[in-house]
Amino acid sequence: MNPAENGSKEPEPEESVPTVESDIPEERIAARRLRIAARIEAKKREALGVDPDSKKEVKQELKSEKQVEQSRQRLTKLKSDGTELVTNIQVAADSRESQRRTDEAEARRQRTERLESEAKMSLEKFEDITKKWTMARSRELPQDLWEILNMQQQQCALLIEDKNKLINDLQQELKVSDDRYVKDLKKQAEDIDLMIERMEEQIKNLMKSYREELNQIEKSFELERRELLDSNHNKWEQMMQCRRDKELQFLMMRMKRVEEQEQQLQQLRVQDAEEYNMIKIKLETDVQILEQQLQQMKATYQLNQEKLEYNFQVLKKRDEENTITKSQQKRKITRLQDILNNVRIKHTKQDKQFREENHGLTEDYKRIMEQYKEMQKKMKHFANVDAKKFQEIWLMNEEEVKELVQRALETDRIIHEQQLGLAWEKPHLPFMERSGPIVPEHEKKKLALQLAEEVIRAKGKTDADEEWEAVCAPGTQSDSPPFQEQDTLDTDNTESSADQPLRISVKTIKRLLEILCDETGFLIESKLLKLLSPLEKDEQSLMKLDAIFMALGIENEEDVYKLADFFIKYREQQTVDSKGADEDESPGKRESHAQKETGDGSSHRSSSSDLIHPNDVLQALRRFTKEHFKPRDKSHQQSKLFNLNERDDSKDAAYWEDMVNVIPEAKLKVWDALYNALEKYHHVLTERMKLINETNGMKQQNSELRMLLHQYVNSRVNAELEIPPTQVMQIESSWN
Amino acid sequence: MPDVIANPDKGVFTPGRLPQISEPVMRLNPASDPRKMRRIIAEDPEWSLAIIPLLRELCLQHIVKNFENNPILNELLPSHKAKVLEKLSTKLPLKVTANLISDEGYWNRCCTERWGVCDVACYGDSWKRMFFERHLEKIIELFIPDVTDIKTVLDVVPLCKNYVKKLNISQLLPPVKEPQMNEDDNASDTASDLGHEGPSIDHFDFWTLLDKLTHLEELHLVYGVSGCGMNFEWNLFEFTYRDCQSLAKALKSCKTLKVFRITQSKVDDEKVRLLINSLLDHPFLTVLDLSHNLIGDRGARAIGKLINERKMKSITVYDNKIRAHGAQAIAYALTKNTTLTSLNLRLNQIGDEGGQAIAHALLKNATLTNIHMGSNELTEPTATVLSQVLVQNKTLRNINLSCNRLGLDGGKQIQEGMSYNRTVVEFDVRLTEIGQESEYSISQILQNNQEKARKKLITESGVKK
Repeated sequence: MNPAENGSKEPEPEESVPTVESDIPEERIAARRLRIAARIEAKKREALGVDPDSKKEVKQELKSEKQVEQSRQRLTKLKSDGTELVTNIQVAADSRESQRRTDEAEARRQRTERLESEAKMSLEKFEDITKKWTMARSRELPQDLWEILNMQQQQCALLIEDKNKLINDLQQELKVSDDRYVKDLKKQAEDIDLMIERMEEQIKNLMKSYREELNQIEKSFELERRELLDSNHNKWEQMMQCRRDKELQFLMMRMKRVEEQEQQLQQLRVQDAEEYNMIKIKLETDVQILEQQLQQMKATYQLNQEKLEYNFQVLKKRDEENTITKSQQKRKITRLQDILNNVRIKHTKQDKQFREENHGLTEDYKRIMEQYKEMQKKMKHFANVDAKKFQEIWLMNEEEVKELVQRALETDRIIHEQQLGLAWEKPHLPFMERSGPIVPEHEKKKLALQLAEEVIRAKGKTDADEEWEAVCAPGTQSDSPPFQEQDTLDTDNTESSADQPLRISVKTIKRLLEILCDETGFLIESKLLKLLSPLEKDEQSLMKLDAIFMALGIENEEDVYKLADFFIKYREQQTVDSKGADEDESPGKRESHAQKETGDGSSHRSSSSDLIHPNDVLQALRRFTKEHFKPRDKSHQQSKLFNLNERDDSKDAAYWEDMVNVIPEAKLKVWDALYNALEKYHHVLTERMKLINETNGMKQQNSELRMLLHQYVNSRVNAELEIPPTQVMQIESSWN
Repeated sequence: MPDVIANPDKGVFTPGRLPQISEPVMRLNPASDPRKMRRIIAEDPEWSLAIIPLLRELCLQHIVKNFENNPILNELLPSHKAKVLEKLSTKLPLKVTANLISDEGYWNRCCTERWGVCDVACYGDSWKRMFFERHLEKIIELFIPDVTDIKTVLDVVPLCKNYVKKLNISQLLPPVKEPQMNEDDNASDTASDLGHEGPSIDHFDFWTLLDKLTHLEELHLVYGVSGCGMNFEWNLFEFTYRDCQSLAKALKSCKTLKVFRITQSKVDDEKVRLLINSLLDHPFLTVLDLSHNLIGDRGARAIGKLINERKMKSITVYDNKIRAHGAQAIAYALTKNTTLTSLNLRLNQIGDEGGQAIAHALLKNATLTNIHMGSNELTEPTATVLSQVLVQNKTLRNINLSCNRLGLDGGKQIQEGMSYNRTVVEFDVRLTEIGQESEYSISQILQNNQEKARKKLITESGVKK
């Protein structure tokens, strides 16, 4: 990193070269680019094998270095030559030694060979001689023997001579080698001397040459230094000269320029003076005009100033006021802000609180609702239970009472038949037939459907009035004398029902129902229609009516009558509207008229035929439903809720009273009288019974006494007695 | 006293000897002392005008005088110590001085006084070490078995064992039987008189010595007598088997040894095997020199084994009788070795076979830098392989093939091999009959390589700096 950086920096330090350490990012980027470029350049150069510095080095190789290099080379050569010279001796000695060794080895080999051959030869000779000894022994003749011995002797001598010769040869060789050894020693000593000599010479030479070379190097260095000095001096001189020349030149130029500029200055001065004068005059006139204007302006200014001052005062005042009010407002704002904050806090708090409360309350409400439902359920349950219990108790009591009544009646009958001997007539007792608690009259109303059914069923019957009576007043059947009170009640009932506009003939009802059936088919579901198609016509209309009543909310008989009534009224109203003139008719009249109508069958029929126009049915129905069923709904619901509690027990007492009064007062009086008579009779009877009992007891006592007497009389003691009791007895009896 | 009368005349005119005149003389005869007549005595550096010396001076003088009996040195102040050391006599017994004085100046005086010619550079620039080493060497060299008391050696050992690192023993005397033999004329007389004694004689037993010298690192031995001159006898140069055994034992006991040289001692195969056996598990030995002996192929095999067992750095078996087989053994060792840097086989007879084997080994070896195979009866075939070595091997620096008849063809091959080489700095091809042309070109290449090596060295040293 560093060398590269240095390399990039050093060549041109004066110029503002971008550096990596610079504060400006662009400059740093530029510096890095430069560095990279330099590196690539260096690499290229390296690749080309041209070291950028090598050339310079070659050029700059100084004379001294050259000298040093030369000297060094010379000296190393000298040294190596000298060393070679010295070691040459050793090498020569080595080679001589090795030569000698090889020679000696060769000589030794030859010698041993020779010795071996010699030994062989001598052995052969010796064997010859030994052979001849045996030959000599075989010789008889002394001359021969002598001859042979001589020969042997000669041969032995020859052998010995040979050996001696060999020995001599070897000794000669030894001596030669001894000599050679000495010579070698001498030679080596000489060698060593030579070596030492050479070494000394070498050292001397080296020392000398080193010194020389040192001198030369020093000289060369000095020369170089001088040259350098000279060249530098020359350069210095040259540059000084150059500088001097340049300075002179510059001076000349400067002087020239000064002159020129002075001239120019003069010119400019003159020009400027003229211009100045002109402008001065012009300006002075301007000044005069302006002064005039100034005066004017001053006047206006004065005026304005005063105005402004006044305005200023006023504004100041206002400003003060404003500041006061502003501060007040500000204070107010802050206060309000505080309040607002407080209120907000309070609000949040309260909100929170209320939410919690609300939550709690909803929880409570839910709980209470549940409890309430539970309670209702319980209540219903209990009500049911109570009703049941009531029914049961009622039934039980009724039964008991009925039994009692029966008993009473029975006793009455018995009394009548047995005691009085009169014929007993059974009193009329309607309550005996029915059982269960008394149901109030309105609840006994028939359901609308039942009514419809009845109406439709009764289609075949011709006597509509009878039917009507049977339908409309079931309570007014037959009156019986003992139940006067109830009869009156019933009449009241009929009267109340007669008050209502219910006296509508069955025909009308039927007609109405038919119209309904036809006109309000849309209220019936199509599915139902399909289902109904195979049924009889009566059945069909019945089912249809059921569905229509469901839709219209008509539940019971009364509603049907109401509807009918409403229809009639509607038609009347319409006719009245159409007539317009018949407005004077009072409602009472109308009512009477209606009563009349109900009374008259033919008129009834006619009226029923135009009971209502089928087209108006829908409108009428709508109005009917609007008027009647909305308000009724609620009350109906409520009544449904409380119908159990509302059971009125006003008639119960009468009912039970009826039961109690099954025996009338007159009869009771009869009973009382009878009772008294019977009491008396009973008393007599008891008296009698007592007397009878007394007599019976007397009789028995008597019999017993008789028995005793008899016993006594009959006993033996008697006999022994002076006076036998029997006699006494007899006396007594005789007494009696 | 008779000296006193005789001396005056001598002393008057030789001012250089003046300080040596005994004091009593001067006292008794003031006139005889010319110093009393002079105002300034320029030649005496210690002269001063003060007539009465300082008590300190007197004390120091006393200490110097009685140093043998009461050596006080380390308790003194440094300046006084220097003065005392300057004045101490070199004749003081070693027992006193050996462990007490460590001052080099004193030992310098001792050495120069005793031997005159001294090269302290050979002794690690320590005069004390030099003194003790040379002292011990002298004692051992003059030791005659059965005559000299072994105590003379052993007494010195405790004194000098801390300072002796190298023993260069240039001769070992054989034992003498004749009582008239002295230490002075040992060599000549012993040789002449005991010539017929036979080779059964043993030399100094190193076992008693070596295990006591705990700092010994180098040992040079020559079993022979130097300077026997015309009293030459063969048995002066015997190295007996028992000597060898004791030496082997001693070597084993000396664990600090690094360099071992035994030269000119007629070490043959058996003995070298014995020695190397003892050196096989030596911990530090790195240099072994067995030159000028009688080592043959078996010995060379043992050396090869040693090369592989130990981390040897240098082996010299110059001037022996190693032939082709021995050279092969060494070559085999070279292929496995990674420590050996120098091998000298000069003046053997390894022949072409051995030479080729070693050259092949050099193809694989990457540590050897110096090899000397001069005077080894090598010829062209070896040169062929060597040229290959020159091409491939990058570690060899010095090669010596002098005195081998390589011939012109061999020379050409070597020249060719050298032309690819950039590392060899020295290549001795003198007396090899390779022709002047080859010789010249080889020398040129060598010069180039030398330049290169020099530049490399300079750059390396520059890098280090």
